[in-house]
Amino acid sequence: MMHDHLLSIILFSPFLGATILFFIPNTRREVVHAVAVTFSGISLLLSLLLFYTFDINLGGFQFIEQTVWSERLGISFYLGVDGIGTPMVLASALLMFCGIFVSWNVKDRLKEFYLNLLVLGSATMGVYMSLDLFFLFFFYELSVIPMYLFLTIWGRHTKGYKDMKGHLNMKGEEKRESVSFFLNFNKNSKDYAAMKLTLYLSLGAVIALLGIMLIYVKTGLNTFNIIDIAEKGNLSTGIKEIAFILIFVGFAPIAAIFPFHSWSPVGYAAAPPAASMMHAGVLKKLGHFTIIRICFYLFPEATAEWMPLIALLCVINIVYGGLVAYLQKDTKFVIGYSSVAHMGYIFLGLASLNHISLTGAVFFLYADAMAMGLLFALAGFIYYQTDTMDIPSLGGLVHNMPFVTCCFVVGAAASFGLPGGMNFVGELMVFMGAWEVYPVQTIIAALAVTITWAYYFKMTRAMFFGEANPKLAHVKDASHWYERLPLVLLVFFTLFFGIFPGKFLSVIEKGVQPILARIDSIPGTAIAKQPDIPNTPGDNPDS
Amino acid sequence: MTPPTLSLADLNLTLIAPELWMILLTCVVLSLDFACPKISKPKLAYLSIAGMACITLQLISYAIDGTSGTSFGTMFILDPLAIFFKVFILLATILMILGSINALEKILYFRGEYYFLLLFSAIGMMFMVSANDFLSLFITLEFSTFGFYILVAYLRDNLKSNEAAIKFFILGALSAGLISYGVSLIYGSTGTILFQKIAEIQPEASLGLVIGLLFVFIGIGYKLGAFPFHTWVPDVYQGAPTTVTAYLSVVPKAATFGIFLRVVFGAFLGLKADWQWMIVSISILSMTYGNLTAIAQKNMKRLLAYSGIAQIGTILIGMAAGTKMGVESILFYLLTYLFANIGAFIVVIIFQNLTDKDDIEDFAGLNRRSPLMAFAMLVFLLSLAGVPPLAGFIGKVYVVAAAVNQGLIFLVSVALINMVISFYYYLIVVKKIYSLEPKETTPIHIPIPLKIAIYVSIGGVIFLGIWPKPFINAAVAATSVFTDLVLR
Repeated sequence: MMHDHLLSIILFSPFLGATILFFIPNTRREVVHAVAVTFSGISLLLSLLLFYTFDINLGGFQFIEQTVWSERLGISFYLGVDGIGTPMVLASALLMFCGIFVSWNVKDRLKEFYLNLLVLGSATMGVYMSLDLFFLFFFYELSVIPMYLFLTIWGRHTKGYKDMKGHLNMKGEEKRESVSFFLNFNKNSKDYAAMKLTLYLSLGAVIALLGIMLIYVKTGLNTFNIIDIAEKGNLSTGIKEIAFILIFVGFAPIAAIFPFHSWSPVGYAAAPPAASMMHAGVLKKLGHFTIIRICFYLFPEATAEWMPLIALLCVINIVYGGLVAYLQKDTKFVIGYSSVAHMGYIFLGLASLNHISLTGAVFFLYADAMAMGLLFALAGFIYYQTDTMDIPSLGGLVHNMPFVTCCFVVGAAASFGLPGGMNFVGELMVFMGAWEVYPVQTIIAALAVTITWAYYFKMTRAMFFGEANPKLAHVKDASHWYERLPLVLLVFFTLFFGIFPGKFLSVIEKGVQPILARIDSIPGTAIAKQPDIPNTPGDNPDS
Repeated sequence: MTPPTLSLADLNLTLIAPELWMILLTCVVLSLDFACPKISKPKLAYLSIAGMACITLQLISYAIDGTSGTSFGTMFILDPLAIFFKVFILLATILMILGSINALEKILYFRGEYYFLLLFSAIGMMFMVSANDFLSLFITLEFSTFGFYILVAYLRDNLKSNEAAIKFFILGALSAGLISYGVSLIYGSTGTILFQKIAEIQPEASLGLVIGLLFVFIGIGYKLGAFPFHTWVPDVYQGAPTTVTAYLSVVPKAATFGIFLRVVFGAFLGLKADWQWMIVSISILSMTYGNLTAIAQKNMKRLLAYSGIAQIGTILIGMAAGTKMGVESILFYLLTYLFANIGAFIVVIIFQNLTDKDDIEDFAGLNRRSPLMAFAMLVFLLSLAGVPPLAGFIGKVYVVAAAVNQGLIFLVSVALINMVISFYYYLIVVKKIYSLEPKETTPIHIPIPLKIAIYVSIGGVIFLGIWPKPFINAAVAATSVFTDLVLR
């Protein structure tokens, strides 16, 4: 019974928690905490169960649930996970759970905050589970709006926004409300960040919706069921091409592919820590996931055709994102741009379209979720303690917060790909796979790893070591259990799966194989390679 | 042509029983108000609500039994489509009467007549969605509008209310003139005014016929408030009492759609090539104009007025598709629009009752003063914007699916881009409600009837969003009257 409905329990437990929270007054903080922890905890435990009971020998889509939602429109509520969805469900549940603790101290409207977080978390998991295009889109769009609320209600203005008030002739407040100001100059307000993020992602979403509708209509099957469309859908090449482009352009912005990345660092910097964690950690990966799920799965021919272009764009992501990150002076902006850069590695892995690189890319999805979650949680904690994100005004924090420093170093090391962290495994596999197909891009990407090293070293040194800022003598380390628990959990998952990636990789392989098999079966192309380790030397920049 | 003979046996009173009951109810309400001037006005409201609830049940039983037929010769038709719209009208009227009870305390005169006029217009619209030829179309269209002319001018000391009424009246009269001229041209080219006859004759597209059709469309466009016939909408919405605005923004539009569907699909389906371009262009213009203008609004009622123009444009997409799926999507969309729009206006009504203000600025920090109202507004605006899991999202997907099926890709692209534009202004309101601090911090007390109305609307918006199946089925059943339409 439980196994039959495992996915819907994981998915609806946070929704249920959100509904209960709605009826609890904000003054009962302890009840609000308890409800949020309980219902996200259920999701986390069950998604661990899901991960460990996913049958590696069986492969394919498992834990399938199907309920007809509307015969007329051909929509069914169809859940199921494969080797790609399973780890991402785990990552979403974990980050949601950690997010609850990270925002323990939110003073203003805690209930609404948790409600939002729970809705955001379960919407994300909904996308990773959906096998019906309609519901995939449903949950995707549902995940956009909570971010807007997070940013406008609990966000912060970035980079000297408050100074902007005076230097205009009009009254500052009034001017900041006007449309032109909003669109052009108001770059550092949380409102700008919120609106930019929402409109970017919504615009992407409606483009993708057009693509989904095109698939729905042109197959003539009156179904949104992905598996049915893959098996029986007889689309002409032209339609496939158009649908591929629409869906890729629609979903790639959330994965922050160049040139659609600009919403992301601004948005993360303005968002409260839990929201940044969720968004950088798992929501961003919805882009890659939906591209794999829809584009790769349904349109292998178009995928094979367009991937070289993606391989070019992702190099820009890597180099440009890295260089900009190096120049930032705001902790969250550094992490935000590093996230943009990391998306490039994942896209490189996707573009190479072979077994090892695709597995690596999916592994990287999870790894980056952990690293980003950890780093944003810490950046949020440091902001909470010091009231600043400005790196030069920090310094010597290690004396006051050794535990936080330790976690930050682990997070940074994992993020730049030090062996032992998960990112290392992912990066290595991506490079190994990509070398076969795009040697030039691989060399550039591998060299760009040094940029990653550089900005993480620079940031870590400036924040934690060196001379202590006397103004920051009062800061405290993470000492409460609720402050330490999320950090410990994230560090544990990063290191554990970094050192023992075997189980993880075998789960992912099961998800990757059928997709590559479809791409392999295209006559006349032989892009996909068998899963053998390439024996080219010198493609291993990290070791 | 033989003149139709009328005998009582032909009248088939069961078919018009709901309307007859409504007339009785209206008369009772009016005479109670006259006969016992001391009677408390909320009692009249609850009487009307109870009466209409019974009539709704009767209509639902008709729908289950499959009662249908024509009466008054062929002027009046009762079929699933008519029943759908009648239930719609009654539900909306009930909601609005609930929403008006407390607002009326501010109006010092003619409180009893208010309910009478609301019910009177509802009767007009119930006849309207049953109109089966151009003559009854014209009569019922006018019949239903009379009540509104008075209702809009209800705040007789308020200059804006009077201005609104005059605008409304003049443009309404103009549109009536256009419709009657259009009808005469159609009659001239086809020799009949019966929808069904016209469909049987399958007239060739002659110049006179197309111009006649265009005039009818323009007249109906006025009633719908679609661009470029929208000019009265913002002023009337702003000037009229908010309760009337709420009613005006949903119910007459839905009823007009009811008759519009009959004209277009019941009579002129054969001329699809001639009317489709008209609908497509009106739709594109309404959406774009409505959404872009809404961005600049500073008054909540005007914002909702412009968003309403855009919503009408979106609904017209389903019409442009011209398939069964398109009609279903219109019916479903109207349901989502009913709850979301009336709900949003009810929040405005509560706020205005208390503060006499309705600028968007004034709503700042509403969340601090009344979390329920803020949440309700959030839900209604997001539903209007088309965000899952709310009703508006399903409505939009339905409409878009119907249009993509017919290959109207350009129209759909415009609609989708407009969806993003509409996010902007809806979210600005959400931002003000949630993230700013209020100037005044006194909590807002919501009277019970309005609370019920808010909860019903929230429930409707969420239920239609997560379990739309029964409503889609109802729309499919209502659409079955257009037998000639292709499925999708």
